[in-house]
Amino acid sequence: MTKACDYVVEVIIENKKLAKDPEGETIYRELVNKSGYDQIQSVRSGKYLRFIVNTKTSKDAKKLVQDLCNDLRIYNPVVHSLQVTARGNSQ
Amino acid sequence: MKLAVIQYPGSNCDYDVIHVLRNLVGIETELVWHRNFNQSEFDAAILPGGFSYGDYLRAGAIAAHSPSLNEVKEMSQEGKVVLGICNGFQILVEAGVLPGALLRNDCLRFVCKWVNLRVCSSRTSATKLIPEGGLLHIPIAHSEGRYVNKNNDLKKLYENDQIVFKYVNEKGEEINSNPNGSLDNIAGICNLDGNIVGLMPHPERASEPSINPYGSDDGLLVFESMLNYINH
Amino acid sequence: MNLLLSPTNININLSEEELNQAEKMLGRKPNSVELGMIDVMWSEHCSYKSSKLVLKKLPTKGKRVIVGPGYDSGIVDLRDGDVAAFKIESHNHPSAIEPYNGAATGIGGIIRDILCTNCRPIGLLDSLRFGELRKGHNRWLFLNVVRGIADYGNCCGIPTVAGEIEFDESFESNCLVNVACVGIGRKENIVLGRMENPGDNIVLLGGSTGRDGIHGVTFASKVISDGSEEDRPSVQVGDPFTKKVVIEATLEALKTGYVRGLKDLGGGGLTCGLSEMSSKGGVGVEIDIDKIHVREGEMTPYEIMISESQERMLFAIMPEGLNKILNIFKKWEIPYSVIGRVTDTCRIIVKKDGSIVVSIPPEILTDAPAIKRKSRKPGYLKEISNKDGIKNKPKDISLAVYTLLKTPNIASKEFVFRQYDHEVGVRTINKPGDGDAAVLRLLGKNKAIAIKSDCNSFHSYLDPFYGHAGAVAESIRNLVAVGSEPIAIVDCCNFGNPEDPEIYWQFEKSIDGLVYMLTGLEIPCVGGNVSFYNEDDRTRNAVKPTIVIVSIGLIGNLDWITKLNFKEEGDSIIAVGKTFPEMGGSQYYLRFKGIGGRVPRTTPEKEKSSIRAVQTLIQNGYINSAHDCSKGGLAIALATMAINGEFGAELNLDQLPKASASIDELMFSESHARFIVTSKKEDVNNIIKLCRKNNVPAAEIGEVTETNSLSFKYKKKIIAKCEVDKMKKCWEEAIPRFVSPTLKRG
Repeated sequence: MTKACDYVVEVIIENKKLAKDPEGETIYRELVNKSGYDQIQSVRSGKYLRFIVNTKTSKDAKKLVQDLCNDLRIYNPVVHSLQVTARGNSQ
Repeated sequence: MKLAVIQYPGSNCDYDVIHVLRNLVGIETELVWHRNFNQSEFDAAILPGGFSYGDYLRAGAIAAHSPSLNEVKEMSQEGKVVLGICNGFQILVEAGVLPGALLRNDCLRFVCKWVNLRVCSSRTSATKLIPEGGLLHIPIAHSEGRYVNKNNDLKKLYENDQIVFKYVNEKGEEINSNPNGSLDNIAGICNLDGNIVGLMPHPERASEPSINPYGSDDGLLVFESMLNYINH
Repeated sequence: MNLLLSPTNININLSEEELNQAEKMLGRKPNSVELGMIDVMWSEHCSYKSSKLVLKKLPTKGKRVIVGPGYDSGIVDLRDGDVAAFKIESHNHPSAIEPYNGAATGIGGIIRDILCTNCRPIGLLDSLRFGELRKGHNRWLFLNVVRGIADYGNCCGIPTVAGEIEFDESFESNCLVNVACVGIGRKENIVLGRMENPGDNIVLLGGSTGRDGIHGVTFASKVISDGSEEDRPSVQVGDPFTKKVVIEATLEALKTGYVRGLKDLGGGGLTCGLSEMSSKGGVGVEIDIDKIHVREGEMTPYEIMISESQERMLFAIMPEGLNKILNIFKKWEIPYSVIGRVTDTCRIIVKKDGSIVVSIPPEILTDAPAIKRKSRKPGYLKEISNKDGIKNKPKDISLAVYTLLKTPNIASKEFVFRQYDHEVGVRTINKPGDGDAAVLRLLGKNKAIAIKSDCNSFHSYLDPFYGHAGAVAESIRNLVAVGSEPIAIVDCCNFGNPEDPEIYWQFEKSIDGLVYMLTGLEIPCVGGNVSFYNEDDRTRNAVKPTIVIVSIGLIGNLDWITKLNFKEEGDSIIAVGKTFPEMGGSQYYLRFKGIGGRVPRTTPEKEKSSIRAVQTLIQNGYINSAHDCSKGGLAIALATMAINGEFGAELNLDQLPKASASIDELMFSESHARFIVTSKKEDVNNIIKLCRKNNVPAAEIGEVTETNSLSFKYKKKIIAKCEVDKMKKCWEEAIPRFVSPTLKRG
């Protein structure tokens, strides 16, 4: 039986592709592009949250955080997309 | 004597500052597009409040890369007068003209209200005519006004008399007076020589009794101090 | 004509009958792009097809009206060549599913409407309605709507100076977000939303056109169902930075004098902009889809024509001025495209790859056939009409006062307005909370405008006619209380499904109430907005009928500006106007389980008398402070004056002009045509005389004191005694307590 341990779950909340991302677009246009970084194609902005979750598997940790984000309205599925990644412990 | 109000994409308080300078202080003032700002044409410059570049990334972070900041750095070395109000202060800090950083208010919301300021140093271009300990009624309106700095650098600010304004209560005490969590209730600072000043509150909004709930015109003292500093 | 590259799965919302009518008007079957354009333009939101016939009854003319309804904003005369443009709009449906961006883009839209007239936007108002704050969902909506309005308005540098918020369960699944904007300008510089001169260039300025917001208006013309959260393209993300830059660039372009017509693109996108501008000017347009700057490659003509991407303006520019204006756009670094020309063909021609993909007379798009809907008196009105009582009568009146001060409908809204930069622009004399209306000065002149929004949906639910007549009366009284002369109103109608005869009855009667009061007061309505389908798909619960009134007044002398706080110890407190036992829809009944009851009724004559009296008193310098009586009645009006002034008062209701009533009715009835004013003691007699001359009852009812107590005496007994600092705490902490128990007071 696997023992529960601490997993790091990272959440990135971005505006959906269909929705605009004025912050990312402005950073790209006014800062990155105007400063001569030609190879940069685009910039998207988002919010980053890091959870430490105590569960049996990393899959459980990921699902828990996904459900939490839906439940507590950490993001709004109408305009936001969510990326959730779980990795092994806190080093 | 000529003053420039530097306009960035997203500046909002540019016209407010011009109104006070032209109509109340009576000084020749020009609204200058940031790309066209040439410091040799002016005795002083004001970076006004607003939301340059929408405050995207961080307030003032994108505007700090404007060529106008090179001009401002020259003014700093030449001892010319520069005032950064609210977003202007944020731009000066992001550009490294003034030390420290301005972070999100600790209450995590935009705050618009009148506060009391105590003048902590009268040697600066913004406070030449205001005695130390003097109290001013001036409004704030910002969401990223929390001043922070490293311990050692903060110590140096005190040693070099670079703390210009602090948030205080009606009696002038630093009790229950901090609207945004700023370190040591700091509302405004200056550079080493005292010719460049940045503050979060808006003196242009406190320069006329009719729009001032206290019926005073404390804000005017800041602009008159600048004039006085230039003339001496 | 090329039948083209459109998706085959267009969702058309037109009825069978409407489709036939469209075909008849066009003289042939519309192709898929044209069909999509008609679908959008004939939606309820764009066409007002369910409301046009009823709205025709509103009085829209007056000697101060320069531009009435039909254009982007109403424009009124402020004397000496100064004008004000103002408008109100709703953004209910998007805000209900994405409150932050829904509210933000609502602000974006209303700012554009003012900008179009070449007036600089100088003030915003928000009129919001949510379900009760004790429920998490409603708190989520409330917090995010306010944040959305704050972030957008603050970033644009336009102060949000006034507003109102109501909380009621009827707004739970359908919050109401109505926003208004006022701008000032000069009469000789007014620009209208029409194209008149064939040969003028058509230029699209602003954010690029994308797939967001496709079918935004048809979304707003349906009830919210469970599928709505999936309606992704319908809520756009606002970009206030681009908007701010568009504002400055547009005003700079307008200064050149080469702009002949200007319109913002909102609901209905390019289709709406082109059709309205050309039909108003009696001209045609020809545009090339390929010239439009788009965000996503491979957009079909259909998608481009109906996209509602934000921050876009449509210009008609004289050819000789085109380069100068394009250089201004280049300086501000905003994308633009020169998309076509004004023609004399009286048709909208859209080309792609050299071929015509749309050819349609603009009138077909702008003149959707009106629908005459059925109406029937709602059952619930018959049920409550005979009832008038109270189940939970409070033990003592003082307790009732504290309790009412704590109810969110009455409590301080400081939590909200502290997040709005209400000082930017250095024009705000009466800041939120200072007086009954916001006051914005005109720089360099001895003039100011007063502006306010009002509606009491609790009254209008029980009596749509008198409730809304009262909304107009209250809004006008608020303007007068700050020292202004009311000029005009705009209105925003919020109702459930108009296809339901009981809802339509509410709508008709509400407009009748408006017509009644506006006509009697000789105040015109210069614009408005209608939002239908504000009801829950499953439960069929509709919002309470709510027509938000935004009114504007002119203050001809800055000395007349009046605030509501008690000013000096020893001042006399005078009640102007008569109190009646009219408890229906009152906050007192609401809180203490009152049933039915008569909703306050007023007449234009009564209002005029009170208004004239107070105006004369203010202009003659007699008044130190003034406050009208509304939610919570006399008691709450006096409590607010005491709290804001940090003074107490001793009151005696024996002389209060009143019809016979019980004590709680005297204290909490929400009768109209009433003001509380304060003055120096020696002026009282003159004041009473002047009121009598104007046919309005008035009496001295008390005195301002330096104590911490607000006490009420009646027939030799003290009926209530409240501590001012305790009242202040109840009033100030009510809303913050709901939204965060451990809130740090910012």
